[in-house]
Amino acid sequence: MTAVASSIPPEWYLLLAAAVFCIGLFGVLTRRDALYFLMSVELMMNAANINFVAFALYYGDLTGQVFALFVIALAAAEVAIGIGIILVLYRNFGVTDVTVPTEMRW
Amino acid sequence: MIDVFSYVPAIVLLPFFSFLIALGAGKYLPKGGAFGGIAATAGSFLLSLWVLATVAGGGAANRTVYTWASAGGIGPTDVELSFGILVDPLSALMLVIVTLVALLVHVFSLGYMNDEGETGLPRYYAGLGLFTASMLGFVVADNLLMAFMFFELVGLCSYLLIGFHFREPGPPSAAKKAFLVTRFGDYFFLIGVVAVLATFGTAQFGGPESFPALAEAALAGEGSVAWTPGGLDLQTWFTVVGLLVLGGVVGKSAQFPLHTWLPDAMEGPTPVSALIHAATMVAAGVYLVARMYGFYALTPTTLAVIAFIGGFTALFAATMGLVKDELKQVLAYSTISQYGYMMLALGAGGYVAAVFHLTTHAFFKALLFLGAGAVIIAMHHNEDMWDMGGLKSKMPVTYYTFLAGSLALAGIFPFAGFWSKDEILYEALVHAPGEPLLFGGYLMGLLAVPVTAFYTFRMVFLTFHGDPRSDTARDPEPVRWNVKGPLTVLGTLAVVTGLINMVPVQKVLGLEGIDVLHRWLDNEWGGIEGLSSHHYGDIGPYSSEYIVGGEVATVLVGAAVSLGLALTGLLVAWRLYNVPSPTEHTAKLGGIKDVLYNNYYLDELQVWLAYRTEDVAGGADTFDQGIVDGVVNGVSSVSLIGGDRIRQVQNGVVSQYAALLTLGLVALILVLGVTGGWFL
Amino acid sequence: MSDGDSKRRGRIVPAVAVGLLFGTMALTALSADFAAEGAGFPADASVVHNIGYALFNLGAYDIATIPSEGFLAAFLIAAVALDVAVDGAVYLAKREEDGTIIAAVGQAFTDGGERQ
Repeated sequence: MTAVASSIPPEWYLLLAAAVFCIGLFGVLTRRDALYFLMSVELMMNAANINFVAFALYYGDLTGQVFALFVIALAAAEVAIGIGIILVLYRNFGVTDVTVPTEMRW
Repeated sequence: MIDVFSYVPAIVLLPFFSFLIALGAGKYLPKGGAFGGIAATAGSFLLSLWVLATVAGGGAANRTVYTWASAGGIGPTDVELSFGILVDPLSALMLVIVTLVALLVHVFSLGYMNDEGETGLPRYYAGLGLFTASMLGFVVADNLLMAFMFFELVGLCSYLLIGFHFREPGPPSAAKKAFLVTRFGDYFFLIGVVAVLATFGTAQFGGPESFPALAEAALAGEGSVAWTPGGLDLQTWFTVVGLLVLGGVVGKSAQFPLHTWLPDAMEGPTPVSALIHAATMVAAGVYLVARMYGFYALTPTTLAVIAFIGGFTALFAATMGLVKDELKQVLAYSTISQYGYMMLALGAGGYVAAVFHLTTHAFFKALLFLGAGAVIIAMHHNEDMWDMGGLKSKMPVTYYTFLAGSLALAGIFPFAGFWSKDEILYEALVHAPGEPLLFGGYLMGLLAVPVTAFYTFRMVFLTFHGDPRSDTARDPEPVRWNVKGPLTVLGTLAVVTGLINMVPVQKVLGLEGIDVLHRWLDNEWGGIEGLSSHHYGDIGPYSSEYIVGGEVATVLVGAAVSLGLALTGLLVAWRLYNVPSPTEHTAKLGGIKDVLYNNYYLDELQVWLAYRTEDVAGGADTFDQGIVDGVVNGVSSVSLIGGDRIRQVQNGVVSQYAALLTLGLVALILVLGVTGGWFL
Repeated sequence: MSDGDSKRRGRIVPAVAVGLLFGTMALTALSADFAAEGAGFPADASVVHNIGYALFNLGAYDIATIPSEGFLAAFLIAAVALDVAVDGAVYLAKREEDGTIIAAVGQAFTDGGERQ
């Protein structure tokens, strides 16, 4: 059995993941439409998944891979809830703009 | 046998109920609730007589009625704060005096208030009821804290009653003055109460666990006290505590320098003055010293201070009484002076003499005030003696009773005041050698005798003798039975009360057993261990010395000197004022006259002091407003403004929350990285 | 916020924050000390098969060729969580009209997805 090791050093995976995460975060911070919100959150989760998978390969342990699978599954759940919330949001405020509902204020 | 002492609380509560009734339903009752008050005080008086009889039969009571707070205290003892009753010969005697005077004052009020058509009578009778109840509660108090509470209630009632005519300018001001000046003394009293509780863990007056007993044991080295502040030795500390409590006494009993409230208190209705001066408020101070005499007797310094204050006040107040024009003002200064005598007696170790004078004074001063009240009714509320004169023939009952009271006040043989005052001076004299303060007190007390006789008879002659000097004096308003009745009772008492304690006669003639009051207070018929005059004599610091060869000679010389001085004063007054048209002689006094008229400018001094205090208080106020409040307000405004700013962050926009989260995450990573050395 | 100015200004803070975050993360990643060669997976091992083994705790039966922990419990919990999520989504999508609860899903079927 010969080990198949990545020739790419893990720093690059981390940089990629950080970049994707920050793009997603920037989307979350700037977008006002709740649907874009959800997409951006998806990006951030997948940034985490990149790390999981990269380190699974780096350590030769499948745990990271399985974890990535769980993250995908839970992201699906989150999307389901998120869409539900957006529906309610639209119903109550008539928009999907997240800056309109400010009921969480003090 | 019925336990009479279970009814002692009823003595206190009966006038209290009359207070409640007069307050709640007084305006629906005939005479504004007067009959309720009369019935209540009469009931209390009868119960008090019963108590007196029981004590004479060997009974005594020292029991706790109700404990309202109890806690682990200082040292090994638990502190219990309670209401209780202490009935011994002293308090039984005082109960009878207070209830009797209160009863007579109630009856007299029918004539003075109701017949004169005063308004606000329910308030008046409510005040009288509460006043009487407070004083009775004070008398039966079995511990210092309870005594303090009722002491304060007495002060409150005096405020309410002195300010009865609250629509006129004078009475409210006088009421406030009385309240504040006595409160100034009570402040020290309160500290004293706390000090006693902290020191002994108890404030009981009587019994083996009482604080006088504990103090005595501690001084004898047989016990210890729970606490003394910072290494003070016991004698010094007890002196300090004694002086603190004395502060309240000086305020209430109107001793120098806190006497200034009492002349102003004459603004109150005359029956109230009688009650204040004879039986309640002013008597409370002296009674308190007598009550805890077992404690005071342990500290010679305190006794000397009491004696000196007393003697000084006796003379000082008497001189001020010389020049007053108003009937009640003269009586007010005489009261201060007479309580000075009592303090002198207490300070001189003359416990019995003080109680004796308290008793006789209660009767003759109540008599004089009620007599003055009768004169004031007759004169249509004109109190200026220069407008009176010649009332002798118009109102004989008042005249003769008033004369009896005056003779008693002046200390003329054989009226009540002679016996008690003579005993005070005798006690001071025989204990004085070697005690400069006491000797000073004695001399001043002696000097006050002719002055007292002079102003008393100046008052009598100006009021009743000579020719009428005004229209109202020519045709005075007649007084009714409800005025004459109390006067007669008190007049009789003023004549005969001296008979209860004829020590000089006993000593000179060798008759045994006529010093009834001595034996009474010596627990000869029963009482409470440790609360007897004999015990006080044992622990007191004084020993008797007879300067004029032997006891009998000293007694005779002392009595002769004081009687001679009194007669001198009387004769001078006779010469000057017992003429058909007396003139003012005060001008002959020159500059002293103004000083005396203005009460030695003590009021001005106190006002000046008050203003200086105000300056200090102003400084403190500036400090408080500027620095203390400034810090507090600063903290609050910083929080407010800060909160207002930070609140902007909480704008409910999720994006901004997330941005802040991001920044927080950055900060967290940086902190962890720097401290964890990641970036090296 | 229709004008571009305030829109741009509204993005400055997020941009700075995100930039800072990326900077610190990159700094952390680059300064971290990794071995040059990772462990890697065996060449002949099937990753998909092994994931299946891991999900059902079969690693203990010597059929797994890549080491992993067992995830049976997590698998079941995730299943339940997904179920809850779907139920929650459906619940949120329902809406109340005239006191009756109308299922969004059911309505979508009947009126062709048009939401009123």
